[in-house]
Amino acid sequence: MANLPPPSPDVSPPVDEKRASFEKEALVHLDTLYRVALRLSGNPADADDLVQETMLKAYRAWDQYEKGTNAKAWLLTILRHAFINEYRRRTRHPETVDVDTIEPFAVFSEVQDDDPQGAFFDKIVDDQVLGAIDKLPEAFRETLVLSDVEGMSYQEIAGILHVPVGTVKSRLFRARQLLQGKLYDYAVEMGYIKGSPA
Amino acid sequence: MNCRECVEHLYEFLDRELTPQLEQDIRAHLEDCPPCEEQYDFEELFLKFLRARCRAQGAPPELKKRVLRELFGE
Repeated sequence: MANLPPPSPDVSPPVDEKRASFEKEALVHLDTLYRVALRLSGNPADADDLVQETMLKAYRAWDQYEKGTNAKAWLLTILRHAFINEYRRRTRHPETVDVDTIEPFAVFSEVQDDDPQGAFFDKIVDDQVLGAIDKLPEAFRETLVLSDVEGMSYQEIAGILHVPVGTVKSRLFRARQLLQGKLYDYAVEMGYIKGSPA
Repeated sequence: MNCRECVEHLYEFLDRELTPQLEQDIRAHLEDCPPCEEQYDFEELFLKFLRARCRAQGAPPELKKRVLRELFGE
């Protein structure tokens, strides 16, 4: 039987230092983690638990994180793994979507004569927009939230979701078009803009 | 650059994911092409609207306390 390697010397930084760097680099992203968790899980109680769990895992693994790189992306990767492993099974199910039915830039062509600036969007309140995002298929929803709400780059999103950059691009395109369509239909229904729901 | 190519790159342009050269080609096309410019403006305003509507919400103060308590025993 091979000899076990000698125990490695304790090179962990002192607790105060660890805490300070965690507060500076990780805790500042709490709002982002919460918003993403809420859109993924679909309810505030699960979002709370998901964020809590993410922060605990991140703190435990903090020595493995290379300081000063990209804590936001690193934390979101942990959060997404936790969501997939522990929450998705009992909350939502990944849906399949017929992506070919989405027409490119359908809403713009619909409104370009009457409202080319899309002023009707401004009448739609936060809750309606968030509700429409929640109805997007999961793969589109997470891509759109990471990009359009949290401002992550294609490369960062590809890393978090473990998909190629080309997939991020195409999901983002479809997610935005799908969401625009939903919001346009709602605006027509509410009389914010004339037109017929697609 | 023609209109089809210009519209194809629309989101990559707005997301600032293009090379400086391609970005410049698009700017040049948009200056000469009001219909493409209109479509770019529409999509840009939509993305701004979306961000504004979705960022109002942050982590509840209770959650922050809970995380600090759990991590540092506070």
